[in-house]
Amino acid sequence: MSTMPILQLLERYLTLTSDRNQVIISNMSNVDTPGYHTRDIDFQAELRRLMNASTTVQSSPALKTVSGLIERPDGNNVNLDREGMLLAETQLQYQLGVQLVKTEFHRLLTAINEGK
Amino acid sequence: MGLFDTLEVSGSALSAERQRAEVVATNLANAETTHTAEGGPFHRKEVVFSSQQPSPFRLMFAGLNHNSGPVAGVRITQVVDDPTPPVMRYEPGHPDANKDGYVAYPAINPVQEMVDLMGAVRAYQLNASAVTATKQMIQQSLDILK
Repeated sequence: MSTMPILQLLERYLTLTSDRNQVIISNMSNVDTPGYHTRDIDFQAELRRLMNASTTVQSSPALKTVSGLIERPDGNNVNLDREGMLLAETQLQYQLGVQLVKTEFHRLLTAINEGK
Repeated sequence: MGLFDTLEVSGSALSAERQRAEVVATNLANAETTHTAEGGPFHRKEVVFSSQQPSPFRLMFAGLNHNSGPVAGVRITQVVDDPTPPVMRYEPGHPDANKDGYVAYPAINPVQEMVDLMGAVRAYQLNASAVTATKQMIQQSLDILK
């Protein structure tokens, strides 16, 4: 269990989610590029690493090519169904992070207002 | 790399797909063109897509933030002529006919072009919805301020 302030944890979570969103969108934009291979971030592993990292300097998440996708004759293996599902998933994850940040600030505000 | 860079990636795809649709439209419009400035019939054009790395300036900037993002947009590197030989049709009265009375017409198959156009339109729609998704995420982040 990490002892980091919750806002800092949430910030790292949001950064990772938006990074993954970017990888998915870059896969989507290369749907017709010959020879392009689908890339992704190992979300669970990266999140675990970020939650336990103590330094303020964050390295960018590692990118890997995804295996097990069917390659078209032009060497491209972007699967639109996969990317579409992941985009929706990532968006909801991001929304969750934002809501938690808002809740945290509301809690702070409640304390300032002496619980009124 | 932040959410705004993501918009840029989608934007590069939108512009590439739009250019592809334009090239298809050119092919369809010139399906019967027998006379061009270079001489001879019109040649079918094709686009070449390639994935695009961010500019060196951006990489440098991202490196300073210790957050070099995994961004790759798409761009059209070149528009090439299809080497398929023209289709010869016997039209002796045509001003572009050769001495045997045959006219060279571009080898353009409207069905193939329409399929290509549909592919471009679908990819455009896909990237447009990706833009909408990113815009929602930016909007949600702004909502923290409320």
